[in-house]
Amino acid sequence: MLDGYTQSILIFTGINIIAAYSFYAPFKTGQVSLGQAGFMAVGAYASAILTQKFGLPFPVALAIGGVVAGIVGVVVGFPALRIKGVYLLLLTLGFSEIVQVIVLSWEYVGGAQGFRYISFNPHTLTYTAIIIVALILFFARIERSSLGRAMDSIHQDEVAAEVMGVDVVRIKLLAFGIGAMIAGLAGGLYAHHATFMDSTTFNIMLAVEILTFVVVGGGSTYWGPALGATVLTLLPEFLRTLREWLELLPVAWTNFFPVNRVYDFLHAFLDFENAKRLIVYGIILIVMMIVRPDGLLTRDSLRRLPFTRWKPGHA
Amino acid sequence: MLEQTANGVCLAIEGLTKRFGGFYALNDVNVEVASGHIHALIGPNGAGKTTFFNLITGVLSADAGRILFEGRLVDDARPSNRTVKGIARTFQNIRLFPHLTVLETVMIGEHCRSYPSVWKALGKAVLQRPFGEAQEERTMRANALELLEFLGLAGQRDAKASDLAYGDQRKLEMARALATKPRLLLLDEPAAGMNPHETQELDEVITRIRDRGVTIVLVEHDMRLVMDISDRVTVLNFGTKIADGNPKEIQNNPTVIEAYLGEDVQL
Repeated sequence: MLDGYTQSILIFTGINIIAAYSFYAPFKTGQVSLGQAGFMAVGAYASAILTQKFGLPFPVALAIGGVVAGIVGVVVGFPALRIKGVYLLLLTLGFSEIVQVIVLSWEYVGGAQGFRYISFNPHTLTYTAIIIVALILFFARIERSSLGRAMDSIHQDEVAAEVMGVDVVRIKLLAFGIGAMIAGLAGGLYAHHATFMDSTTFNIMLAVEILTFVVVGGGSTYWGPALGATVLTLLPEFLRTLREWLELLPVAWTNFFPVNRVYDFLHAFLDFENAKRLIVYGIILIVMMIVRPDGLLTRDSLRRLPFTRWKPGHA
Repeated sequence: MLEQTANGVCLAIEGLTKRFGGFYALNDVNVEVASGHIHALIGPNGAGKTTFFNLITGVLSADAGRILFEGRLVDDARPSNRTVKGIARTFQNIRLFPHLTVLETVMIGEHCRSYPSVWKALGKAVLQRPFGEAQEERTMRANALELLEFLGLAGQRDAKASDLAYGDQRKLEMARALATKPRLLLLDEPAAGMNPHETQELDEVITRIRDRGVTIVLVEHDMRLVMDISDRVTVLNFGTKIADGNPKEIQNNPTVIEAYLGEDVQL
């Protein structure tokens, strides 16, 4: 019913939304991770090994891939408990690099040639949609719960939360593990859609992109990651169609103000449809930090919407 | 000020020592706090009072000595476990959660009582009904409101914690600590930054908390407050205990007057 192009765009948007939620889970307890690409790789390779080498059906392999990534997440989460800020970034970054090197040197999964001929899953879009709905329901419930409040308190003052009896260690580990598991699911979906991956597929740039999704969308509400991932994934597509729309402008207007030539100049310079779109991400990040450091969607902006009145805190 | 010497011992500190490098923040300190007392801990700046609190709550670990709470050794590495056992505190430099509302802040204190394990918290969160709220939430909210009422903050329950006036932030810290249902409450300079009227009010608040059955250890510089409400006073100077007694004895103790307040000062 949807043409291949639209379907492919939707699938990548969906996988990016899932990846953004994988960043959001640990971020809710104040942990900023650059390791989500690494966890995606763990889930992707684990599920692809299961379908290709062991002949397991895709849904089973996807679920196991997520669990494996989650377990790895808890293992990485232990040393991550004691450190914060820049040091946590470096630790998770180091983890991603380790995963890349292992994948590169492991002949069983193709080594430097990459993991080829992964079975194609024709229903990726459906799976993606189901997982996104489940994630939004999950995080909505966390938001409305005592656990969610405890996570917020850890984010805002970890020592105070700990002294007030909040089990900071277990909650942070739980959040990190859940985040890794979600990343693993995103990786499994990606692998069985792209049917090929190598050590550079889940690289540091992907981790930075995932972080950008949440920073742009807003990390203080559970709608933020979905919004950020959608906006940033669709932005290049939007800009592409924008060029076609510019063609429709009357010539008199474009002679007076040559928007189409401004567009072409920017396009040649930034190449935002392709690899160099990270330049645009960088600019967006800088602008966001200045204009709206809490992201597009914040708790306050959600409170202003009438249909969110039933949110907690108002008995 | 009741002389309740017949009471049991709530907190017993034996030989507590903490070094920072070669500097003794606390050196072989012994203190006994009777149940139901308001026990003040005074001393000049740098005497080790806040370190004392940090050791009892587990924010720092001691180099030597034992902490006995209600006769049992407290040796949990993590502060949250000690809070679960019934020891709560406030902070000298206010540490509220800036983006939570007043009501939510107090409910954080109750989290460890309603949800003793992370799995229960996760299960209740995931399996909750989409509208309405769980029994636990209702109980927590009711208890939190009762505490806010008790401390006179009920009118500001939906304000952000960071938007409260300074004195109210101190009270909110007390409400949050009380929400953990402690049997021992450590108050770290509750009157700091308060005006005389607010301090007067604090007298009454602390006494009422004690009357709820909570033993209180109080670090405070406001001597009027300390002498008015304390059942017993311990004086620290440079990490060592120099005196221990009821307010009257402390006021007339020459060592205290000399070391802490300078000579020729009438307390």
